[in-house]
Amino acid sequence: MSEAIVTPKKQVKERKSGPWRDGWRSFKKNKIALIGAMLVLFFVSLAIFGPLLAPQGINEQMLANKLQPPSAEHWFGTDDLGRDVYSRVILGARISLLVGFLSVIASAIVGSFLGIMAGYYGRWIDTIISRLFDILLAFPSILLAIAIVAVLGPSLQNALIAIAIINVPNFGRLIRSRVLSIKEEEYITAAKAIGMSDRRILFSHILPNAMTPIIVQGTLAIATAIIEAAALGFLGLGAQPPQPEWGKMLADARSYFITAPWTMIFPGLSIMLVVLGFNLMGDGLRDAFDPKMKN
Amino acid sequence: MNKKVMRRLGLLAILALTMMLAACGDKGKETGSDKDGSSDGTANGEGGGTLVFGRGGDSVALDPAIVTDGESYKVLVNVTETLVDFGKDNMELNPLLAESWEKSDDGLTYTFKLKQGVKFHDDTDFNAEAVVKNVERWKNGDDKFAYYHSQFRLDEKDVIESVTAEDEHTVVFKLSTPQAPFLRNIAMSAFAMLSPTAFEADEKKMAEAPVGTGPFKFVEWKRNDAITIEKFDGYHVEGLPKLDKIIYRAIPDNSARLNELSAGSIDVADGINPSDAAGVKGNDQLQLIERPSMNVGYFGLTVSRKPFDDKLVRQAANYAVDKQAIVDAFFEGYAEVANTPLPPVLEAHNSDIKGYGYNPEKAKELLKEAGYNGEEFELWAMPVPRPYMPDGQKIAEAIQKNFEDVGLKAKIVSFEWATYLEKATAGDADSFLLGWTGDNGDADNFLYTLLDEDNIGSNNYTFYKNDELHKLLTDAQTEVDEAKRNEMYKKAQEIIHEDAPWIPLAHSTPLLAATAKVSNYVAHPTSSDKLLEVELK
Repeated sequence: MSEAIVTPKKQVKERKSGPWRDGWRSFKKNKIALIGAMLVLFFVSLAIFGPLLAPQGINEQMLANKLQPPSAEHWFGTDDLGRDVYSRVILGARISLLVGFLSVIASAIVGSFLGIMAGYYGRWIDTIISRLFDILLAFPSILLAIAIVAVLGPSLQNALIAIAIINVPNFGRLIRSRVLSIKEEEYITAAKAIGMSDRRILFSHILPNAMTPIIVQGTLAIATAIIEAAALGFLGLGAQPPQPEWGKMLADARSYFITAPWTMIFPGLSIMLVVLGFNLMGDGLRDAFDPKMKN
Repeated sequence: MNKKVMRRLGLLAILALTMMLAACGDKGKETGSDKDGSSDGTANGEGGGTLVFGRGGDSVALDPAIVTDGESYKVLVNVTETLVDFGKDNMELNPLLAESWEKSDDGLTYTFKLKQGVKFHDDTDFNAEAVVKNVERWKNGDDKFAYYHSQFRLDEKDVIESVTAEDEHTVVFKLSTPQAPFLRNIAMSAFAMLSPTAFEADEKKMAEAPVGTGPFKFVEWKRNDAITIEKFDGYHVEGLPKLDKIIYRAIPDNSARLNELSAGSIDVADGINPSDAAGVKGNDQLQLIERPSMNVGYFGLTVSRKPFDDKLVRQAANYAVDKQAIVDAFFEGYAEVANTPLPPVLEAHNSDIKGYGYNPEKAKELLKEAGYNGEEFELWAMPVPRPYMPDGQKIAEAIQKNFEDVGLKAKIVSFEWATYLEKATAGDADSFLLGWTGDNGDADNFLYTLLDEDNIGSNNYTFYKNDELHKLLTDAQTEVDEAKRNEMYKKAQEIIHEDAPWIPLAHSTPLLAATAKVSNYVAHPTSSDKLLEVELK
């Protein structure tokens, strides 16, 4: 407020900028969120440029060199098949992030669609969709994911599908409640009054106004999805050998955690940092764009 | 804000938990109390005391004639005895309940002179009549006597035509057809003598509480926990056994078992991971015991499925795998590279076969010649550690990489153990890891059992079939001239080598560990160890 009085010119600019710009400004002020964003950026660039950075491929075995401690040649040591852990951790970033992004995008799209249907049309459509969400939420999510993978067969792709499915109700319920309140707004009534079609109302008015919680929830959900993918990989239900998935690497390392702790520390640390990054960034985004969701 | 901090802390806690999960792995079930304890070893004077033996699983049943699993025989060899025995640490034939024997020239009659003054644990005399009653029991028992069926029945006909007591201590076996490994078969733990008084009174009770002539008598069995046997005072060898009592405890996880050994709550631990061997050796309180090798770990190529229905592809696969690297990396030196299915300890082993050797270039050539189109196949990885295959998953990954280098595209799959065996028996695997530990030290027990067409649907998982081989293997069963018979098996190994239904990987040396106070422990190639001379100091 005091700022605005000092420089009226800036006030004009601010008014022009709108909620996105405001959000961005407040996000920039949040140091912790910026750290999170930098972590995410770091891992995203690893995922993109990994093959250029990794000194070795994912499956270059040197059995005679197995379980070597970190050295100049192998920065993170070698694993039980004599593969370079540093290379595998770098190349594993792409797998984890891909699973995180794709599964969340898939569940956000499906969840939003179902949530909008339920919220906007109400009545029996709402009943069916809401009960479906209740059923999905009734299972512990990781258990449901294991069950889905057990049916589809263990592979990275099926793990991705399973994670997408278990996250659908989270998005669905969020959007549904959002739509329920938006549809009572006067501009929606106005749009209806001038004879606008349902489809146009949904896509031009309701969806854009329901967007922020999806983005915030999405960022946080990526973190969970990465952990879930790692958990499935750890159980042997996700990525299959020789894919360098971090959870799978942890599972392989557990027999050697006393003699060769580096096989466990580096993939474990990567999971921790990338998840921390997404969580810090997600929290920051929520504070910035959706103050109502706070607490 | 507070909540946010909490959330972050919670998240960190979850991550920490993830890492701990990785650390914990699959620890086996925690063990109960120390029971009678093993530390009272010296309490009862010279070498006596209680020995606690930790092993991977519980016995299935304790009637030697009906069981087939190693964990049952591990106990039974100390409670029951056979007419003919194997050597202390080898597969030579020695007298036990029979002092001597004679074979007729036509190989159809065996006359056994029995040891005198032997008593069963229930005070029944062991004599020719007891032997006759035991054999009649096997003959009249239907399919539930699995080993009798597999070793002494050919095309539904009994190999043992009759058995008669000539006098109190002489018994005569008449065979319907000559059987070369007859003495080896009769020496198998499955054909141990039980007290006729006991099994005539209650046949079913034998599976719960066997009555034999062995150095130890059965005391108690707590299912899935422990079996206790104690010294039999009337044992027929003076001064033996040394121990007063043995408790066999089931501790499924290899690392958990080793931990208990280090903690002193067990005295002997079966099934030590090769990767733990160095740690055991470096510990003054422990000793490492190597079991003589009589096994084979192999990679099966199912000949009835693509792409291994083509002999050239199978040979290419043999050239592709770097067996020496696998043996060095996963068996930690406690194994030798296998070139044929037969372990070298068996006389019939053909040492002229040098194996295919690691030659990726040759493999590529053969694949090209075979016209392999790069289609993906399944590579089955064993889900459990076995003495012949310490880490199936990792060995599978190494083989997958070897295959990838020559252009063979394999996808690793795994199932839980019972399903794995069941599906492999049905021929559902394109290629798979498996192995075998010999029962009686005879070549027949490897080659015929694992690779003859008669055993498709049981132990011949590759569905390999070769008429010439079948004739050789079945003829060898009735060939009584040892030298001739060995030649036949050597020829059989050449045929198998050429057809390449397997990639033989390794003959491993299974490992045990014991505390330093255990002495005279001799590990036997069959995996069933007699503890009658073992002492605790």
